Amino acid sequence: MIFRVFEKEELKKLVELLIAHNRVVGPVEAGKDSSGIPIYAFGEIFEFKDLRLNYTTTKLSAKKYFLPFKEELATFRMDTMNWQKEINYNVKSPLILFGLHPCDINALNKLDKVLIHSDYPMPYYLAKRKNTFIVGVNCEPQPSCFCRSMGTDTAMHGFDLFITDLGNRYFAEIHTDTAYNFLKHIKTTEPCEDDHVRYMKIVSERNKKFVTYVDTTDLMKILDMEFQSEVWKHWGDRCLACGTCSSVCPTCYCYGVEESVDIDLKRARKLKMLYSCNLIDFAEVAGGHNFRPERSTRLKYRYYHKHRGFVEAFEESLCVGCGRCGEACLAEIRVPDVINSVRSNGVRV
Amino acid sequence: MISQLKLIDITKSSMAEKRVGDLSRFEYSYKAEIMSVYRLTEKETLYRIQIIDPEERRRFSFTPGQFVMLELPGIDEAPFSISSSPSIRGEIELCIRRVGNLTNFLARVKRGTIVGIRGPFGKGFPMEEMHGQNILLVAGGLGLAPLRSPIFYVIENRSRFEEVNIVYGTKSPDQLLFTYQYEMWQKDDINLNIIVEKPDKKWKGPVGLITDSLREILSGRDKEFYQNTYAIVCGPPVMFKFVCNMLNEFHIPMQKMFVSLERRMHCGMGKCCRCNVGSTYTCLKGPVFDYWTVMNLKEAI
Amino acid sequence: MDGEVRTYLGVPLYRPKVAFFEFTSCEGCQLQILNNEVNLLDFFSLIEVVNFREVMTERSDDYEIAFVEGSITTDNEIKRLKRIRRQAKMLIAFGSCACFGGVNQLKNRFRDLDYVKREVYGEHPVESKKVRAIDEIVDVDLRIYGCPVRKEEVEKIVLHIALGKSLTVPKYPVCVECKANENICLFDLGEPCLGPITRAGCNAWCPTNRAGCWGCRGPAEDVNMEEMLRIMKGHGFSEETIMDRLECFGGFSPVKIPEESIR
Repeated sequence: MIFRVFEKEELKKLVELLIAHNRVVGPVEAGKDSSGIPIYAFGEIFEFKDLRLNYTTTKLSAKKYFLPFKEELATFRMDTMNWQKEINYNVKSPLILFGLHPCDINALNKLDKVLIHSDYPMPYYLAKRKNTFIVGVNCEPQPSCFCRSMGTDTAMHGFDLFITDLGNRYFAEIHTDTAYNFLKHIKTTEPCEDDHVRYMKIVSERNKKFVTYVDTTDLMKILDMEFQSEVWKHWGDRCLACGTCSSVCPTCYCYGVEESVDIDLKRARKLKMLYSCNLIDFAEVAGGHNFRPERSTRLKYRYYHKHRGFVEAFEESLCVGCGRCGEACLAEIRVPDVINSVRSNGVRV
Repeated sequence: MISQLKLIDITKSSMAEKRVGDLSRFEYSYKAEIMSVYRLTEKETLYRIQIIDPEERRRFSFTPGQFVMLELPGIDEAPFSISSSPSIRGEIELCIRRVGNLTNFLARVKRGTIVGIRGPFGKGFPMEEMHGQNILLVAGGLGLAPLRSPIFYVIENRSRFEEVNIVYGTKSPDQLLFTYQYEMWQKDDINLNIIVEKPDKKWKGPVGLITDSLREILSGRDKEFYQNTYAIVCGPPVMFKFVCNMLNEFHIPMQKMFVSLERRMHCGMGKCCRCNVGSTYTCLKGPVFDYWTVMNLKEAI
Repeated sequence: MDGEVRTYLGVPLYRPKVAFFEFTSCEGCQLQILNNEVNLLDFFSLIEVVNFREVMTERSDDYEIAFVEGSITTDNEIKRLKRIRRQAKMLIAFGSCACFGGVNQLKNRFRDLDYVKREVYGEHPVESKKVRAIDEIVDVDLRIYGCPVRKEEVEKIVLHIALGKSLTVPKYPVCVECKANENICLFDLGEPCLGPITRAGCNAWCPTNRAGCWGCRGPAEDVNMEEMLRIMKGHGFSEETIMDRLECFGGFSPVKIPEESIR
C-alpha cells in the first residue's frame, strides 16, 4: 500500500475539488436529539462545511446507496397478451462516499461476498458498488460499538482512500490509482518516521476505548445447541417486530418483490423492497401458511442468519458490530446482550 | 489531471471479474407462451408452457426436482416445481393450485398468453445416482406435482431401475391428480398404490394413510431390498416426516431419502432470503434435500 | 369507454358499479379520491360510479361495491347501513371512522353521554348515540384504513379489484416506512409515536413531517402492546399522553391494556 500525509487545510481543497465535479455524499448533521446531542446521517455534501468527519455512528447506514429501500428491478411495456421487459440497474452517475468508518466499509465487503462473489451476482448492487469511490476515515469508539469483537474495527480493503486524523495532519492510505490521481491535486508528502509513530499511537489509544465486547468463540455450535432455548422467548416477548434493526443494519440485505400495474394499464413494474425477517409475514407462503408466526422464532432466525448461516457460507459473520440495531431498537434488544444470554443460557438484566 | 469520475458500465465485457452473461442472467426472463391450459381438478390446473425463442428453447433443460420462477408482469412472480419430463427441452408443464394472488389470476388466463420464466433453479433429485436401485416414489396431495418429473424420468429410463413403487395419497378421490396417466405408468411395470383418507361412494381402492400403503410394501422384504432402495418423498412437512420416519424404521438409509421443501422464494438465486430454512437457502441448496440434511436443518419440520 | 371491455394479459377487467356513502364523518376520505387530478380520469375509467354525492347529482341504487365512510351514531344510520349491505356485493369500510369509529368514538370515553350532548348541542339536542364502527352493525368485506385514507392506497385497491389481484394491506408497522424515508426516530426527538404498533401503508405520513404517529390506521398484525407501553413509560410519557394516542382513532380499543404496565 502507498501512504501519504497532508496538511489539514489540504483536505478542504480536496473535498471542494471533488464536489465541483462529482456527486459527493458523507456524514452530515441531520438534527439534534431531545438532549441536544447531534444526530448524524449520510447525506449530500454541497460545501466542505457540511461534512462532519468527526461524526459518531449514523442512525442509518450507508447501504442505502447500494441497496435502496425500494428499487425497481424491471418495468414492462404491456401489450394485449404480450409485453416487453426493460431492465435498468439504476445508476445515473458515479458517487463519492466521503467519510466511511471501518465498520461500514467492512459491511460492504461482507455484502460483496453474497451479492457479488457468489452464484448469481446481483448487477443492481454491483453497478452501484463499482461506481462508488470510497474514502474511509478513522473513528472514535462509542459505548455501543463492538466491532473489535467482530474483527471489523479496521478495514483492510473495500475503499479507495482511508484517512486518519493525526491531530496536526492527515495520514492517507491509498488503495486505488483513482485515489492516487485525486491526491495529485493537493500537496502531499511521504510520511516521515514521526508520522508513523503518531499513527500507531493513535491506533493503540483508540483500541483502548472499546468498552463493549462479545465472545463469539464457538458461536455457531452454541447457536445450534441453544435452538430450543428459553432465552429466545424472552427476547421475542420484548421484540416489537417493527423491522427497525434490519432497516438500520449495514449488512441486512433480505428483500421482497412486488409487482404492480400502472393505473393506465400501459406499464407494469417489478419492485424490490428491503424486507426484515422480523416482520410478521417474512416467511409466509401462498395460501397463508407462516413458517415463523412467533416473534421469538423470527428474532432467532435473524441471529441464525447473521451468526451461523453466513459464517457457514463465507467463514465470517454478517455483523460488523456497529451497534446501530441496539441503539435504534426501542425495546433495547442489543446484539451483545442477546449473544451473551445465549452463551450463558440465561438472561441477566 | 482529471477530478471527475467516469461512469462504469458493468454490462460491458471489459469487466473482467464477472462474466457479463452472469449479470444479465439475474433478472432475465425467458418469454414463454402458455400452449395449453388443462383443468385437472377443481383447484389444480396443468399449464404447458413453451419458450418462444427457438435458440433459447434448445438451451433450456432441467433436472427433476428443480423449479422455475413464473412471472405474470404486474401481477406477481412465484416459484413452481416443474411437473414434466426432463427429456423435453424448452417446454415445461406446471401443475398449479389456486391459492394466492398469482395462481388465482393464472386460473383466468387463456392459452396464448405470454409469461416470463426464470430458471431452472435449485438442486433436483440425483436421478443418476439411483440407477440400478429400487425406487419408492411417495406423494401426498399436491406433492404429485413435483413427483411427476422423476416419475417421467424413471419411465423413460425404466431398464436402469429395479422395482419401482409409486405411493400416492390424498384426502378424497376427487383430489387425485393426473388420473388419466395411471394406466400408462402401470404398463411400464410400476406398482401404483393409491390410497385416500375419505372415500366417496364410487371409490373401490384402499382407504387410509400413505404410511398404511407404505408399510404393506415394505413389510417382509429382505435386508438387501432396504439397503438398495431410494425414496423420493413429496408432500407437506407432516406427511414427509411420518413417511421418512417409517422408511427409517425399515433401515432405508437417510441419505437415500429425498424430500422437496416448499418455501416462497422471491428471487430463486440466494439473495432475498425469503426461502431460508434455519440459515440454509432452499433455492440454492435445495429445494431437494436428503433426509439426513433435513434432520440437521433447524426449523425444516 | 362504456360498453367496451378492457383486458389485461387477455383477462377481462371487472368494471364494478360503485357507490359512495357517508355516515357520521367529515367526508374527507371521499375528498382524498378527488384530490388526485393526475390520475383521476384513469381511476374513474376503472369503475362506474353510480352514487357519489361529492361529485354528482344523479343517484342510483344499482351498485355492486359500496364505499362506506363514517361511523354510526343514529338509528336512521343503522337502517341505511343495513340497506346498503343488502344491496352491495362488496362493502368497504372506508377510512378510520368506518373501520374503528375514528375520532368520533372519543365521545364514548365519557360515562355520561347525555352530559356530552348537553355540552355540545345545548338547547338544540339531536339524536346521537354511542359511536360504533361499521362492522359492529354489518359484515365488512374490506377495510381501507387511515384518517384520511391515502389516495395511492385507494387507487391500488381499486386497480386490484379491477384486475382480480389479491386485496392486501401491509401487515407490518409504520416504522418500516418511516425508516425507509430516513426519518429521525420521533422517540429520539422526545415525541410520543405509535409507529411501532400501527399498521403501515400511509408511507409514514406523520413521522415524515416530524409528528408522532397517532395510530389512525389501527394496530399492525402481531402488536406487542405490553412492550410498547413499557417503552412509552420509559421515555417519560404520562398515562394520559399514552391513552390519548391509543384512544384517538379507536383502532386500539380491542387491544387489552394491562393495568400494571401503565401504573
